[in-house]
Amino acid sequence: MASEPATAVELEEEQRLVEEAQAGNLDAMRPILERYAQPLYGTVILPRLGDSASAEEVLRDTLATAVEKIRRFTWQGKSIYPWLRQIAINKVYDVHRQSKRSRRLADAMVHELATETDPTSHADAMLIADQERRAHRERIDGAMDLLAERYRLAIELRLIQELSREDCAKRMNVTIGTFDVLLFRAVRAFRKQFGERAGEPTHGA
Amino acid sequence: MAPDNDDNDFLTGRVPEPDAEPTAAERAHAKTFADLIDKTLSGHTPPAMSTDDRTLLEVATVIRAASGNALLDAAKQRSLVEDALRQAIGGAGSSAATTGSVVPITRSRARRWAPWAVAATSTLVAAAVLILWVRTPPRIVTHTVPAAQNLPETWKSRPADALIGPITKEHAGDASARIDTIFADRLDGYRELRLRGRKP
Repeated sequence: MASEPATAVELEEEQRLVEEAQAGNLDAMRPILERYAQPLYGTVILPRLGDSASAEEVLRDTLATAVEKIRRFTWQGKSIYPWLRQIAINKVYDVHRQSKRSRRLADAMVHELATETDPTSHADAMLIADQERRAHRERIDGAMDLLAERYRLAIELRLIQELSREDCAKRMNVTIGTFDVLLFRAVRAFRKQFGERAGEPTHGA
Repeated sequence: MAPDNDDNDFLTGRVPEPDAEPTAAERAHAKTFADLIDKTLSGHTPPAMSTDDRTLLEVATVIRAASGNALLDAAKQRSLVEDALRQAIGGAGSSAATTGSVVPITRSRARRWAPWAVAATSTLVAAAVLILWVRTPPRIVTHTVPAAQNLPETWKSRPADALIGPITKEHAGDASARIDTIFADRLDGYRELRLRGRKP
């Protein structure tokens, strides 16, 4: 779904739903929210929070705020997605401001956000989501490139390919216990590289 | 190979080389983290975990999300959309979600304030009751004559000294006679009351 650009008909339908919601029928927002919940969660909120429970809360708040403020939205011949995305990003920053738990990760995201392309310059939601996903992946790959080969492989097999621990251990010719240690160290090393790439000093890396 | 790790400082400590021998503490921590990853991949992230584990799990989740692996399942998505609509509309309840009837924002705002208004009123009433209860009642000073003062002497408790008089040494052993005298005196008073139809 995410890779398919919206057709003119879909955009027209979206405009009709927005206008209906702005006229008072808030239930018209339902199809819009259902369409964009996944890209907002997967490409905007979760990669910036790293915690699925918090990400779900932020998504719910984002969608609720969108419904509450739909009258303020001005249709400009583009999808409503960039507007929703901006609401989501603001909510994510609110979460980071309130909690220092994921400070390093948040700082990395904030730092790199400046290098992102302007989402409002794109008309299509799914293209924006795809582009954003690619940008995240490039950042991840950039940090991965700086890791030791075995750490990179451990992350690739377990977190990206999502193989079982047994299969990962087999592929790397180690015991499961040793693979657990490798993955543990790999994630720690990744975290340090990711923070450093954002310009934040790290300790003892 | 010698252990190359800061046992108790997994977040800020130096990350050992891949072939460095792990310590027992690192092995244990790695196993815990591996179990967390297992649960997270199966969609059952435990709510409670150490700060270190949570931080590392967030990193792992970011990697997964960037790879397009962290998806919201359809049921969860529907539930979040319904929750969001309810939250925005303001406590319309689950019936609104099922029937599709949506309350306008203006009315929903009034509804959202209603519980607060009830809570505020209840608090005020409770405070008023508390003030009334705690407040010291005004003292009413009345000058009343003690009831005992108006009673005849025979109704009141009184010493028997006047009745018995000083006890001489030679009559010291006549205690029963003295008791009889006192009893007779008190019985006279009782009879007087009873015959007048009063209660003592």
